[in-house]
Amino acid sequence: MSERWRWQYWPLRTKLLSLTVSITTLGILLVCTSLVMVENRTYKEQLESELHVIADILAEQSAAALLFEDSEQLNTIISSLDQIETIEQVCVYNVGGEVMSALNGTGYEPCPNLDVEPVEGFLGDYYRLLEPIVLDGEVVGQFYLMSRLEVLRNHIWTFIVISFSVGIGILMLLIWVASRLQRLITEPIVELSNAADRISHEYDYSIRVPVYGKDELGSLGNAFNEMIGTIQQQNQKIVQSKDDLERTVAERTSELSLANRELEAFSFSVSHDLRQPLRAIEGFGAALEEDCRDLLNDVGLDYLGRIRAATVRMGSLIDGMLVLSRVSRQAMEVESVDLSTMLSEIVQELQDTTDAVPAVVSIQSDMHVVGDERMLRIAFQNLMENAWKYTSKNEKRVIDVSACEKRNSITIALKDNGVGFDMKYVDKLFVAFNRLHTPAQFSGTGLGLATVDRVVRRHFGRVFAESPIDSGACFYVEFPSSERG
Amino acid sequence: MHVARGCPQVFFKFFVALLLWLTLGTTYGSVRSEYEVKAAFLYNFTRFITWPAPSVEGDALTICVFGSNPFGDVLQQLNGRVSQGRALQLDFPTSLQESDRCQVMFVGGGKARDLAEIIDYATARQILTISEISDFVDAGGVIGYVKEGNVIRFEINQQAAQQSGLQINSRLLELAVRVIR
Repeated sequence: MSERWRWQYWPLRTKLLSLTVSITTLGILLVCTSLVMVENRTYKEQLESELHVIADILAEQSAAALLFEDSEQLNTIISSLDQIETIEQVCVYNVGGEVMSALNGTGYEPCPNLDVEPVEGFLGDYYRLLEPIVLDGEVVGQFYLMSRLEVLRNHIWTFIVISFSVGIGILMLLIWVASRLQRLITEPIVELSNAADRISHEYDYSIRVPVYGKDELGSLGNAFNEMIGTIQQQNQKIVQSKDDLERTVAERTSELSLANRELEAFSFSVSHDLRQPLRAIEGFGAALEEDCRDLLNDVGLDYLGRIRAATVRMGSLIDGMLVLSRVSRQAMEVESVDLSTMLSEIVQELQDTTDAVPAVVSIQSDMHVVGDERMLRIAFQNLMENAWKYTSKNEKRVIDVSACEKRNSITIALKDNGVGFDMKYVDKLFVAFNRLHTPAQFSGTGLGLATVDRVVRRHFGRVFAESPIDSGACFYVEFPSSERG
Repeated sequence: MHVARGCPQVFFKFFVALLLWLTLGTTYGSVRSEYEVKAAFLYNFTRFITWPAPSVEGDALTICVFGSNPFGDVLQQLNGRVSQGRALQLDFPTSLQESDRCQVMFVGGGKARDLAEIIDYATARQILTISEISDFVDAGGVIGYVKEGNVIRFEINQQAAQQSGLQINSRLLELAVRVIR
């Protein structure tokens, strides 16, 4: 609340007004003070000269009486000063310094002794003067006069009161005039400020401020208007280009989704429709081997075996494509998945169904991720099968699965001691139909890691791999640990 | 008279004597003698009176004492003093014929019988006449000393002054006990 009263919070017109008022007050104060000082001085000088004239006249009058030592006459002469109320004391001394006549006012102070030089001039509440009484150039006595300064004091007080009253009156008038005139400056600024406020709050760039005069405020108003005009134009352009962009994006998106749908439909129908002739080939191949075995020689049987093996491979290829297509299209059911249990089940299945290489599989317990369980199972099944496959030529199989949790992500590392891969081709690892080994070395469709990549991407994560020379391969799957999983 | 208590009486006498001595002592010490005052007045009169034909600047102003001189040596202190720019000069003429050069003439007490003659002579020659003879101004003298108690005052006959062509300053007239106009 008190901050409101600080200088920074004052409105411009208050600042201007207070500036004017303070300068004016200072000026008037100085003028009044100097007037009072000048008046005081002038009045003192006037008083002094008046008293000197009185003293001169009386000294001249009393010279003769002084010479003839006529105290009565002296008393008569100086008693004329009774008329002047402010005169406190008058003393007439003869040439020897003796008091010949005295007139005392209210006080009972005796005439000062002339042996010591008496005080003269303005002192305290009195003005004192001592004048020699001269006749034909000869000093015949001294005239002493002491006057009270009440009149001076009263006069100065009256003068102070009047001059300060007039000063206050002038100040009021000036404040009134200043409060009118300051609008010349503050009004354009306030309008400018209000316009800027409205523009920044309402984003209405059509607002313009009126321009007064040709001074700095006028040019400021012009510059402001021009600036707002420029902003308005640029804003229009931006809005227009944004609309264009949105329209383009919408067009592209719809085109893209159409193409995607077509592609998926194509992929699905291809996979699906390819099965039928494949099944026919396989079925008739099996029938041929069974029924016409005796009619074929060894070479024929070998060819037949190769045909059947190729159909099996093609079948698994089609399966892989179907899986890939499914994980791309399928709706996700997001839940918390116990990855440790899932991996244990997968390993158990693999151990039951494949070769008898001794395996040491360690899986970190209590790994949890958020995602679609079926998709994650497909992904980790692929990864684990990969590890299993590329360690099948080892004497001993060592697989290690661990998790590393960071602030906003969780990374699952799956490490094996298999043959690994050439890091040169790491970019091609997760692309469909790309294989780094020949079917003679290791069988495969080239779709497994592509499927893994697709699943992880649908979970907003990423998958990457590294293979240090002669120490197997390590696959990392990173999921963001947000709620979206 | 009771003489029984001698001691206080002696003390009283001594006290009165002391008082007298003190009073007289102070009186003689502070107050000037009558002729000292009169001599000072004589000088002061010359400062307030204008003679009709101003003599050449620097010309002496001659004060004559005609007849017996009551001032003694006191008057000598006026010799050489300056009044209205003129040096004072004392003279003691023995006859009226010798009084031609006087501007001021003090008429001594012994000349009371020749007063008319002296005043006529002085009026004709524009001489300021001053005297302590009683009723001097009534007889046609210009300034006469009078004594009021212990205080020396003076009277002025302005008519006589005008006849002599002398101008008396009004300040002096104000101070006179009596002015004959």
